[in-house]
Amino acid sequence: MNIALRVFLVLGAVVAFAVVVRKIKKSDMQARDSVFWLIFIGALVLLAVFPQIAFVASQVLGFESPSNFILLAVIAILLIKVFSLSSDIAVLRQKQTTIVQEIALREKSDTD
Amino acid sequence: MRILAIIPAYNEEESIVATVAELGEVAPEVDYVVINDGSSDSTADVCRRHGFNMVDLPVNLGLTSGFQTGMKYALERGFDYAVQFDADGQHRPEFISAMVEEAELSGADIVIGSRFLDKDKPASARMAGSALIKAIVKLTTGQTINDPTSGMRLYGKAMIQRFAKENDLSPEPDTLAYLMRQGAKVSEVQVDMRERMAGESYLSFSKSISYMMRTCASILFLQWFR
Repeated sequence: MNIALRVFLVLGAVVAFAVVVRKIKKSDMQARDSVFWLIFIGALVLLAVFPQIAFVASQVLGFESPSNFILLAVIAILLIKVFSLSSDIAVLRQKQTTIVQEIALREKSDTD
Repeated sequence: MRILAIIPAYNEEESIVATVAELGEVAPEVDYVVINDGSSDSTADVCRRHGFNMVDLPVNLGLTSGFQTGMKYALERGFDYAVQFDADGQHRPEFISAMVEEAELSGADIVIGSRFLDKDKPASARMAGSALIKAIVKLTTGQTINDPTSGMRLYGKAMIQRFAKENDLSPEPDTLAYLMRQGAKVSEVQVDMRERMAGESYLSFSKSISYMMRTCASILFLQWFR
């Protein structure tokens, strides 16, 4: 793992951290929604500062290089996040549908 | 016996008046409710002006949820039968009584107003799709439904209850196959339909392909996990 990737990881983490903090300050994001991103950012910094982690992991798991391991790990984590977002949206859509139906049916009952 | 015609309407300002008027004239024993599905045209205003019985959804939810609203209405008010009835004038109210009669006689949970029970299908792309769905339904349920894509369906009390309470049921062929596999009794009555009088179909031609793929995938694969 070369120094450029390590610097890139730290820079990315710093920018992501700034964005998350700004969202929380503007109340666009609640604290509990930001936990995932803060942990994710922490993990990136950890890997940049202690590349030995990636070395050991890639050796144990049989990756050719630590950077491959990091890329795959990031993709896997993001895929999980996308899946959980997709199922959250399905739940929200169902709730919204029920609310809209309920509003219309109640309005109907009131006017009858 | 109380029968409700559920008329989902999305941008049907041109045809809704004629549809409701015809229903009242030809089948006065049938109650109706128009479900205005967040239309962007003047459907809601037209209905109010004519004093139609309407449930007015504030935003567009799509046919499935619009129809479910009608089922919730039917359940709330204790209707015995609910019939899915198009706002665009395709469905003819004189056949509703025959469908109810069939449900009473055969004890069917769902009666389909079928265009092809006694008559042959015309050859067209849409009918090829219908034939494909028919074959898949036969394959998975062992029963023959001659017109699975007919939008004119009558549902009995048990089905009203289920459609109102379960959120994954849609007024579509895949739900039909799913319910049949769960033991719902489905019967058919020969009806005639008209071409649409005005407005745009829920199922524009560009959407037909994705509709076919979704329906086939749902009947063939998703049913194992439902």
